[in-house]
Amino acid sequence: MGREHSQASSLAPARWYLQLRRMTWGGRRIDWSAYLFVLPFFCGFSVLVVGAIAFGTYVSFTEWGILGDPTWVGLANFQRALQDPWVIKIWSNTLRYGLLVVPGTTLVGLAFALYVNQRWPGHTVARTVFFAPNVVSVTVIGLVWVWMLDTRFGLVNQYLGGLGVPDIPWLTNPNWVLYGIAIAAIWWDAGFSMVLLLAGLQDIPRELREAAHIDGANGLQVIWNVVLPLLRPALSLVVTLNVIHALRVFSIMFIMTNGGPAGASSSVIMYVYEVGFVKYQLGYAAALSLMLFVTILLVTFVELRLVRASTQ
Amino acid sequence: MSIQVLSKRSRKLKPLIVVVWAVGLIAMLAWAAPLVWMVSTSVKLPSEVMTRNVEWFPRHLTIENYAKVLEKPVLRWLVNSIVVATSATAASLLTGSLVGFALAQLNFPGRSLLFFMVLASLMIPTEMTIVPLFLGFLKVGLINNLLAMIVPGVASVFSVYLFRNFFLSLPPELLDAAAIDGANRLRTYWSVALPLAKPAVIAGGILLFTGYCNAFLWPLLVASSIDVKTMPVGLAAYSPQSGVSQYTQIEGFAPAMAAMTLLTLPSLLVFLVLQRHFIEGATSAGIKG
Repeated sequence: MGREHSQASSLAPARWYLQLRRMTWGGRRIDWSAYLFVLPFFCGFSVLVVGAIAFGTYVSFTEWGILGDPTWVGLANFQRALQDPWVIKIWSNTLRYGLLVVPGTTLVGLAFALYVNQRWPGHTVARTVFFAPNVVSVTVIGLVWVWMLDTRFGLVNQYLGGLGVPDIPWLTNPNWVLYGIAIAAIWWDAGFSMVLLLAGLQDIPRELREAAHIDGANGLQVIWNVVLPLLRPALSLVVTLNVIHALRVFSIMFIMTNGGPAGASSSVIMYVYEVGFVKYQLGYAAALSLMLFVTILLVTFVELRLVRASTQ
Repeated sequence: MSIQVLSKRSRKLKPLIVVVWAVGLIAMLAWAAPLVWMVSTSVKLPSEVMTRNVEWFPRHLTIENYAKVLEKPVLRWLVNSIVVATSATAASLLTGSLVGFALAQLNFPGRSLLFFMVLASLMIPTEMTIVPLFLGFLKVGLINNLLAMIVPGVASVFSVYLFRNFFLSLPPELLDAAAIDGANRLRTYWSVALPLAKPAVIAGGILLFTGYCNAFLWPLLVASSIDVKTMPVGLAAYSPQSGVSQYTQIEGFAPAMAAMTLLTLPSLLVFLVLQRHFIEGATSAGIKG
């Protein structure tokens, strides 16, 4: 690019250019062109991610309707959140939903992964079927399950009725609604957990299991004593992802119940949506999502520490 | 539940193994049931849907439900979805591969800092930034504009991460050889590195594309007028509960399931054809954290 330049000219700009070309970083020449490579992404990233987080933090200290100017209110939004009875309700809903969905998705995903990892006839078909719901839009997941879980005409209650179970008001009773949504969410997500765990399973050397077999361990013992301990990194990754996923649940609830009945299936993000985009109290909504954000960061951090501690 | 059930070592089929295998088959049927039931409902006469008898095969086949769905601006929503997902995916792949290349192969001050920022923001869910982003897009007048759904594609940290990992596997000698042949960095990226990154482009592209196609919360916020909606948001109006609208309460579940079938078929077909890439992509997306 500039070699002939650097030899020939003794003009000041050229010397400057030459010096730039010769500068090193970490013992190697600096590739100045790298900044051009980074530029388009960096513009977007600094506005849409870094800027958005900073701006969101600012908004959470203000009162901001959709029209008009923001007014600085200090910690008022956070104080309000601590006294808002709905905040307790939505956090308890979100946590109870998580307690259903995280173990459910992880265990079903694990069972699927162990099943698909065997070379039985049809294991590739099984993998396809178990993963398929994951590629489908949440609108489909939600609506198909509204129909499946319909109290009177839904497929689930009809088959349960065949077993003598009375009709369950899956989505219309406050005590059942989180179970109903959790069933749909597990159907949606278990395939994703399966794929991650399958990748973990395939990293376990076959000889290890065979050795355990030769030592006389039966299948369950091999799974419990050999496979699961070695699967721990993959399992903790899956659990972390499922926890984060559960904490940020929105769409499936929005479609299946819109938070009802009586707010029994309203999650944190559902409430953020309602406060911010139905009532247009954007400052309060930003404060609520900031609180969730900090929670998710804490969960991730603790999880990382735990994983690091357990692998050392 | 022997580990090498059918491997050469243990050819004997124990009864327990057969039971486990069969339970798996039943689970498979159960997992496929909701989608099969959806299609079955979609071709039934609306009057034969609300029944206490389980009828997997419709008594009468009809396409009237599909006709009813197509009365709504479904085609418009489909076009919007395709435009949004294609442009956003292209933007993500382009910016992501450029940065990924720089992070993996080029030496510059700030490289570690940038990579650290990318890694850190992989953990930030989009839900966290909806309020500030909404206000920002409102200020620049992009609400109710497809651009509001496309522009965020420029800053896909997942794409950066994917390409950085891929380009790390390219030997530095390759770049040196290109440099000796007189290619500048941009040229090297475009005609040497990028063609080699085809697997990453395909896996990442599929994953990003389905992600943008299926995105829900952000499109719901920024597309309030009917002709800028995407498929998932537009068809969510079939939900009997949601705050959007209530087609289903008037028309029943048969047209709703026809709408859902229309929404499912494209992604399901693409998935069946490109399954391997989907699963690879999902694995790398999961490992990103």
